[in-house]
Amino acid sequence: MTETLAVQLKGVVQKRSNFQLGPIDLAIPKGYITAIVGPNGSGKSSTFRLLLDLVKADEGTIEMLGQQVGGSPDVELNKKIGYLPEESWMHEEKMKATEKAEFQRFWYDKWDVNRYQELLRLLEVDPNQVLGKMSKGSRRKFEFALALAHGPELLLLDEPSSGLDPLAWKTMIDVLHRYMDRGDRTILMTSHIVEEVKRLADYIVFMSQGHVLGMYEKDELFSSWFVYFVSGERISAALAAKMPGQCGVEQAGGTTYRITTNQAAAAEQWCLEQGLELVSSQAMELDEIMAALLMQDRLNARSN
Amino acid sequence: MRLPIQINEQSAEPLYHQIEVQLRALIVSGQLQEGTMLPSIREFAQTLKCSVITVKRVYSDLETEGLLRTRQGTGTYVAQVGEQERDRHRLSAVAEAMEQAVIAGKRVQCTEEELKLLFKEAMNKHFD
Repeated sequence: MTETLAVQLKGVVQKRSNFQLGPIDLAIPKGYITAIVGPNGSGKSSTFRLLLDLVKADEGTIEMLGQQVGGSPDVELNKKIGYLPEESWMHEEKMKATEKAEFQRFWYDKWDVNRYQELLRLLEVDPNQVLGKMSKGSRRKFEFALALAHGPELLLLDEPSSGLDPLAWKTMIDVLHRYMDRGDRTILMTSHIVEEVKRLADYIVFMSQGHVLGMYEKDELFSSWFVYFVSGERISAALAAKMPGQCGVEQAGGTTYRITTNQAAAAEQWCLEQGLELVSSQAMELDEIMAALLMQDRLNARSN
Repeated sequence: MRLPIQINEQSAEPLYHQIEVQLRALIVSGQLQEGTMLPSIREFAQTLKCSVITVKRVYSDLETEGLLRTRQGTGTYVAQVGEQERDRHRLSAVAEAMEQAVIAGKRVQCTEEELKLLFKEAMNKHFD
């Protein structure tokens, strides 16, 4: 990749008594939206906390926007970053929304009051409420507006849509696309919502049990993973298993097999060469691809 | 601007290729006239629900073909397409569609004769 990187992790390890994160190597390109997906407890939020220097890594190096993370606090770097945490801070319960906004404004000199007001209007948030009295969705929308109000170069969003109703969700997606339109900003986000990743992400990172399983360009990923129903007189489980990129074979009645592959184009070509009939093909959803990757990872771990 | 481009997610044909074929057809057929400004890369990616990487590739491929041009800082426009070029592109889109039809036929084990027959039938339906 010749493009500049927004975030880079090299051999990052964080050890805790019951969980080890890493070693993680990750390069997040500037100008794109990268989504980290993975089951609960796979280390997504922990990775964010490391990036923000809220906790220190035991090993490895982290760079954000070209600056090393982990030394003395870097106010200038922080000004270029917007962060939406998964959970709201408890100690802010009694604070009024406008008071929190004033506090943010003090720290971020690029704070744009017009952008902030516009976001509140778009998301229909009343900033005169006390944070602890807001509904979960309203508070989320308010925090979202705050994270964007200073026009950060890098936006870290941890489960941005949790608690949002479908309309607010759609507004958020629109806002993020518009925010990215300039082409030089970067979003790194985590998400459990398949549709959200599909609509926003350019790159997808899969994480499981503290490890990165892989990073893929979204469209390439979705056009590589397919399920085929293949039929033919001389087909057997052994032959079906030879399909390029094969990741699972099931008999589907008679001489038909259901084969999962991560090399769709090569697999179709192979069927043609083998004289097998492609009865049907199905693209896979993100959650199905993730399940298949997790399965592979487990098999690899066992054979090592 | 919304362009009439449709994506088939159930096809293993790469997304950039699906978009390229349709966008090329819109330009070559004159439906998109010279000087028309195309959506920004992010905007186009949003409407097609694909990544900006794919759109970048489409724009850059069609720019190389001379169908689009990008003005730094302003956007991507439909270029002037010469008569000769239009003709070449016009036929290449059809040739491509024909090849796809043959591939679809082979997939279900059609013989050459069967395919020829189907081609004739299709021709008869549309030409007297």
